[in-house]
Amino acid sequence: MRLRVAGESYAVPVEDVLEVAELGEIAPVPGAHGSVLGVRNLRGEVLPVFDLAAVFGIPLDRPPSRLLVAEHGGKRAGFAIDEVTDVGELEAPAEETESAFLRGATLDGGVLVGVVDVERLFSAIEEENA
Amino acid sequence: MTDDPIAEFLELFRDEANQRLDNMVDTLLAVEAGRAEPNAVDDLFRDAHTIKGGAGMLELEDVRTLAHAVEDVLQGVRDTGSFPRELIDPLLRAADALRGHVAGEAPGSPDLLDELAASRAGVLGTTLPAVTRAERTPATAPGERRAIRVPPQKIDRLLDLVGETVLHRRRLEHVLGEERIATDELVSDELDLGERLFDELKDAAIKMRTLPFSTITGPLPRAVRDIAVAEGKDVELVVRGEETELDRVILESLSEPLVHLLRNAVGHGVETPRERKRAGKPERATVELRAEQRGGSVEVAVADDGRGVAPEVLAEAKSIGSLAEVLARAGFSTAEEVTELSGRGVGFDAVKRHVESFGGTVEARSEPGRGTEIILVLPLALALIEVLLVERGNQAFGIPLANVEEAIAVEDTLMLEGKAALELRGRSVALSDLSELIGATSPPLPGRAPAIVVTAGGRRVAAACDRLLGEDEVVVKPLGALLPSARGYLGAAILGDGRIALLLDPASLTRPATARLRALVAPPRPETERAPSKVLVVEDSYTVRELQRSILEAAGYRVETARDGKEGPERVERDSDIELVITDLEMPEMDGLALTRAIRARAERSSLPVVIVTSRGDETDRARGIEAGADAYMIKRAFDQQTLLETVERLVGR
Repeated sequence: MRLRVAGESYAVPVEDVLEVAELGEIAPVPGAHGSVLGVRNLRGEVLPVFDLAAVFGIPLDRPPSRLLVAEHGGKRAGFAIDEVTDVGELEAPAEETESAFLRGATLDGGVLVGVVDVERLFSAIEEENA
Repeated sequence: MTDDPIAEFLELFRDEANQRLDNMVDTLLAVEAGRAEPNAVDDLFRDAHTIKGGAGMLELEDVRTLAHAVEDVLQGVRDTGSFPRELIDPLLRAADALRGHVAGEAPGSPDLLDELAASRAGVLGTTLPAVTRAERTPATAPGERRAIRVPPQKIDRLLDLVGETVLHRRRLEHVLGEERIATDELVSDELDLGERLFDELKDAAIKMRTLPFSTITGPLPRAVRDIAVAEGKDVELVVRGEETELDRVILESLSEPLVHLLRNAVGHGVETPRERKRAGKPERATVELRAEQRGGSVEVAVADDGRGVAPEVLAEAKSIGSLAEVLARAGFSTAEEVTELSGRGVGFDAVKRHVESFGGTVEARSEPGRGTEIILVLPLALALIEVLLVERGNQAFGIPLANVEEAIAVEDTLMLEGKAALELRGRSVALSDLSELIGATSPPLPGRAPAIVVTAGGRRVAAACDRLLGEDEVVVKPLGALLPSARGYLGAAILGDGRIALLLDPASLTRPATARLRALVAPPRPETERAPSKVLVVEDSYTVRELQRSILEAAGYRVETARDGKEGPERVERDSDIELVITDLEMPEMDGLALTRAIRARAERSSLPVVIVTSRGDETDRARGIEAGADAYMIKRAFDQQTLLETVERLVGR
């Protein structure tokens, strides 16, 4: 699944995506780390929501409006994103990246797409909030 | 539940065997301490015998052989009528080995068998025939303890569903609207019925989720004994309130912290027998472990009658307002020298954090020369809690009701050394903006803002907010796996209108966590130190007198004793510290009634509370006691220490 975060293009493996929804009302958690937007009521469950742009360290050009709910290894988290651009096949990442959260990057229709490694993303967030 | 009948039976056998081994260890320790019941040997014999029988049926040869050897030793004890102390140790080790065999972990134990045979022969001077006498009928009928096994996940699912029902109810109320509920009788009746059914369902589900404290206390007397032996100390562990129900999840995670606290009590708290003797204390130290329910929470306390923490620690505790806080600082230790077993007291911090992680608090009290008490205040059940909901900066927050002392409107704010404080019935309480306490930024508070007085960890703070939203029973949901330890939060709750309320950890609200926060909190008010109340026990039976003395002393009272009523009036006159008299009814020279009348007749002490304890239980006796002026009348038959302590506590107004 390809998505846009703060104007940049990223892809998340479909098997790690639970759903995409409106960002909705988020209750901030004072005192939590900067990338924590807060918690949201997702059909009776409390879902922590993170600012993906802040995790990646890229400046926001406009407030995110969509919520991507990812699940990996039994853990679940929401990420604020701009929008989902499309869902489809993507070539395996050809480029190695330095990023701690990416599996790599690949060129798709002339656009460089970062492929998110959800497992590493989760553990990086966990470390940050430990 | 498994479908294999043998496996199922094995499981039942393990449960029962472990229970019986716990009993045996308790009884053996009691024999060693010289406080065994007269039927102790019979009990031990019966336990060993039952284990042997079950093991035989299930063809657990190791268990059967060892249980048989234990039985032989006990048979010898029964025959000779004496229980030499040298037998305790091998029997305790046999109980440990049996536990291992029962769990299917340990191999056979030929050495132990030989040792048991040798101690039996050596100590009792008897060699028993290989075959014991005719098999006796086990005292417990099979099937008596049979219970239905339910996997824990199923209970949790049930509790989850109960939680969902709460949410549904809130939504329903929201949909119907206050007006409809208030005006439509049919609607409000049905809602009431729903509420009643829900309460019953919730209670039933919570009961399934809780277990008695005794579930984890079994091995502790033994552990304390072993630690004490290693430290060269003589310590007895007294466990009280074993029937108290605790949340299963909390309970199961409590073993390790409790062992740590007990280790600290034995290692740091109590003195060596010699030191104790010098200090005029009984050489054998007592460590009390007790659990009791108090409203919506359960208190689990470890109290020793040792030397207490060092005076400088107490002084430090006074200055920051919490002894637990001082003890939790890493590296702190009450022992003059660091012993191998006790470490450096670092673990206390871990205990405290563990308890706080599920919304509990830790309190500590200590008195030089008299001992130290650590109290863990735990929530009764994890999943559902009653909270007071408040709003600050357009966001809803919940604070456990158990920690909310009161809600007040802030009118007159005192300034104490430049810090805001409130005057509450003569005591000043630090006043802070809730928003600042949790590290948020919010618009300024309205005039006459409400404030809630939160108590935790022995400290209080008044937190001002925009408005109070009311009380609610909410389901505690974690903030999510990726936010495991968001500091200061117990979790979140979803309210009837779908909004999320963050549940605040009271301990972190009252804790001066940072220098910035510290500056907001007024200096702690010095607690008025008060000597423990003194009680006079008048009783002609030595046993009863000493029993009452130990119960009262364990609860922190000072105790004086007298052997006859005739000593009473004079003692009371002479010692103005005596705040209460407990008297037997029948005594040789002056009975309890005459004593009560005599006290009532003395102008200065005529209002002194008097409790009559007697074996006479009929109504006329009671009436005579009350007529003579007794404040309470307790029957020895119904005499239990809890009732006694509650009565005393009520009467001395502690």
